[in-house]
Amino acid sequence: MTQGVSRRRFLAGAAVLGAGVGASALLAGCGGGAGSDGSLQVSNWTSYIDPGAVRRFERDTGIRVTYTEDINDNNEWFAKNRAVLARQGWIGRDSVVLDDWIANRLINRLDWAEPMRADRLSNRGNLLPELANPPHDPERRFSLPWQVGLTGIAYNRSITGREIRTFDEFLAIDGTTAVLTEMRDTVGLVMRATGADVTRPSAAAAEPAFTELERAVADGRIDAFTGNDYVNDLATGNLAAAFAWSGDVAQITRDNPDVRFVLPESGGLIWSDNHIIPKGARRPAAATEWIDWFYDPTNAARLTAYVQYISPVQGVAEELTRLGGAAARLVDDPLVVPTPDLLAEVAAFGILSEEDADTLDARFAALAGA
Amino acid sequence: MTGAMSTRSRRRDRSRDGTVMSPGGRAGRRVVNLAAAAGLLYLFLPIFVIVAFSFNAPVGRFNAVWNRFTFDNWLNPFADEALVDALLLSLRVAAISTIVATVLGTFLAIALVRYRFRGGEGINFLLVLPLTAPEIVLGASLLTLFLSPTLWLFNISFALGFTTIVIAHIMFLVSYVALTVRARLRGFDWTLEDAAMDLGATPTRTFWKVTLPLITPGIIAAALLSFALSIDDFIITYFVSGPSTTTFPVRIFGQSRTATPPQINVLSTMILIVSVAILAVGTLAGERRRRRTGL
Amino acid sequence: MSASVERDAQGRRRARWTPWLLLAPGFLWLFWFFYLPLSALLRMSLSTKPSRFAVPEFSWAWSNYEQAFSDYGSQFTRSFTYALAATSIALLIAYPVAYVIAFRGGRYRNVLLGLVVVPFFTNFLIRTLAWKTILGDQGAVVSLLRTVGLLDANEALLRTPIAVIGGLTYNFLPFMVLPIYVSLEKIDPKLLDAARDLYSNTWRGFRKVVLPLSLPGVFAGSLLVFIPAAGDFVNAYYLGNAKTTMIGNVVQDQFLVQNNYPVAAALSFVFIAIVMVIVAVYSRLLGTEDLT
Repeated sequence: MTQGVSRRRFLAGAAVLGAGVGASALLAGCGGGAGSDGSLQVSNWTSYIDPGAVRRFERDTGIRVTYTEDINDNNEWFAKNRAVLARQGWIGRDSVVLDDWIANRLINRLDWAEPMRADRLSNRGNLLPELANPPHDPERRFSLPWQVGLTGIAYNRSITGREIRTFDEFLAIDGTTAVLTEMRDTVGLVMRATGADVTRPSAAAAEPAFTELERAVADGRIDAFTGNDYVNDLATGNLAAAFAWSGDVAQITRDNPDVRFVLPESGGLIWSDNHIIPKGARRPAAATEWIDWFYDPTNAARLTAYVQYISPVQGVAEELTRLGGAAARLVDDPLVVPTPDLLAEVAAFGILSEEDADTLDARFAALAGA
Repeated sequence: MTGAMSTRSRRRDRSRDGTVMSPGGRAGRRVVNLAAAAGLLYLFLPIFVIVAFSFNAPVGRFNAVWNRFTFDNWLNPFADEALVDALLLSLRVAAISTIVATVLGTFLAIALVRYRFRGGEGINFLLVLPLTAPEIVLGASLLTLFLSPTLWLFNISFALGFTTIVIAHIMFLVSYVALTVRARLRGFDWTLEDAAMDLGATPTRTFWKVTLPLITPGIIAAALLSFALSIDDFIITYFVSGPSTTTFPVRIFGQSRTATPPQINVLSTMILIVSVAILAVGTLAGERRRRRTGL
Repeated sequence: MSASVERDAQGRRRARWTPWLLLAPGFLWLFWFFYLPLSALLRMSLSTKPSRFAVPEFSWAWSNYEQAFSDYGSQFTRSFTYALAATSIALLIAYPVAYVIAFRGGRYRNVLLGLVVVPFFTNFLIRTLAWKTILGDQGAVVSLLRTVGLLDANEALLRTPIAVIGGLTYNFLPFMVLPIYVSLEKIDPKLLDAARDLYSNTWRGFRKVVLPLSLPGVFAGSLLVFIPAAGDFVNAYYLGNAKTTMIGNVVQDQFLVQNNYPVAAALSFVFIAIVMVIVAVYSRLLGTEDLT
């Protein structure tokens, strides 16, 4: 083969390759490209908003919204977006909803969160005072809770044959049991059972909990690690019991009264999903208006009536009553409108140091078989 | 391998019963038929479930427990907008990937079958290797490349999204197309081209009037296969899809963790029906052509 | 094939250039998006992260490979055991199907082949989720097995190795049926007549004539089932438990959950190396060098 051959071959190929890449880029631009129409780009978890909310927001504010339910997992979201965020690029989103711990990472460790625009926050005063100063965002400059939830144990009474009140009783169940794939929820709940303080977590404090979990997985007292899909398995009877999030269970208990949610006697966990504007967002002001709109008690009540988690907004109980019907009945559900007694039983998982988070994540993955 | 008929076996008596060519005689024949029928039934078991649950009115967010029969889902097949968007994205990805991969793969196949040149064996090996690589490795390696700050040689980096999905799909389809078309081309009589040129046709005209029509069935088969593979791909797409580009399978994976509306089953059943229709039309057309040409 | 170059009297030069021009675009694509990524993966597998969120740097870090072997031995073993089991079961199910279609399908051959392929026009994930419904604890299959005593009252199918292997078998079954069918269909009918004449015992006739001639199909089908089955993570995710995770689950988790790219890359490389060795040994055993 002569020089000429390979050179010409290369040029011809490069031309074709270039044309191919160019064509796909072009198609991406006119077809699947997000944000090309200038609307507010919002990402959220599946089934985490009431169906009419986006249209009502657009009507009230004149801001057009593209709402996408494409967050399924905090870690997965981070893995997919980190490269673009690291070079200060546009991830195609003005607004995302993520857990406390990953909010902490974005706000404090990596500086990948954009502050909210204070002048657009007319309803901020409705934030429940208990949620005003979390460790990941003490002045709430970057984040506001979307919804608040509890982590406890859910079980199918018809399979367990009895009520479950403690972690030990959970382990003793003769039937399939699952814990959550979110490390902080599972380890946190077991830490409470071992008497550790979850508000100031560390690898050392989590050690007894890990020992307990490792033993339980090894001898089959814990069978599986699940995301939200435990909801389905509990209702169908594929699971006898599982570590669970309150809102999910609030939704199924009405359909299947055998499924019950309990905070273990050693205590449960409370967490929030945070609304965050990622760095590089094109419409931070509109994104601030978006979250602010949900702090209007009426809008908040409609959201709560649908998703059945705990609202971070004051005055939601009154609005639920005004909505009437099924929504009004939620006021009596302590998982949606928690009583002070219930709130006394829960604690929030604090912030882990990065080294400890690394260690515990790896150890937890090994526990789950990956 | 025909050497298996060794001298040793020639000593056997001749069989009088010439009709049964299956293990264990008539009873065996029945057993084999039964096994095949059971196999086909097994293939369709989940399909029955999928279609049945498209008529279910689920209690709660997950369509997994039979509640009661309804036509509602079929009357509102596009109720889940995000799912429809995902399906449209998948169709767009499949269309573009199929076109590009079919062109590139057909070129490869023609080059390999028609010309003998040094390095042909090596080329063959390089072409087959992507097919033996597990999907998870393909996905992981592409993600590694896309995530690295610069693509080597070109100083551009890709945000995960439409472009990266299409690139990945073309990559894994090219080898499939090349091998499928090549298999069809192997029986092709290249002297027909000579005949055309002897009769005065230019090489370009020969290609369009003789070569292309003859290899078209193979190309169509490869394109259909590509389209099906692209639209169904989950593992590779899951690695290289971005936040705003959720394909149909990626959407279903996400929803399987949070809520599965019955529209998933409805749309899947629709895809199934369309595929069956395409398959039926293709089979009938092939049948008719065979009858006409008497082959 | 070699004739084409000489044949084309005035096209000698063209014949020298054309094949390379035809090959170039496809191979550049494969080079850029298959071979280059593989080398990026190799590089990554020898890198270390200077800090938790930093981009990994190349540093000849063989420790990633040590970790891949020491920490994930059981997942490797499981992947290959499950894939082997799934391949064997798929072969047992697929062979009679292919055999009946090829030899007894008559004019319905194409229809029957279509039936084999049709289920796979629904999505891979939906099929697996359907299996989850079928194998569920309250489902008909489990209650039947409990009635006949094959399962104890509190035993289940879901979240067991059986369910995972069953899912793998099902999802890749057509890849076994089609190649076996193709090789059976190619068998010359005259050869079958000869076999009938030669062997009184039809089983012997099958073993001596049909089976050997179908081996290329069996070979291709086995690889087409084994490779994707070994690398799958979806079946173990939906149908398995914490003790049935496969190497695909680990790679997925290390990449997309833990963001531990170096170890994930090392795992991928070990995995693909083992697959290549298995393919090579297998093709040597069956005496087929041609993979296609």
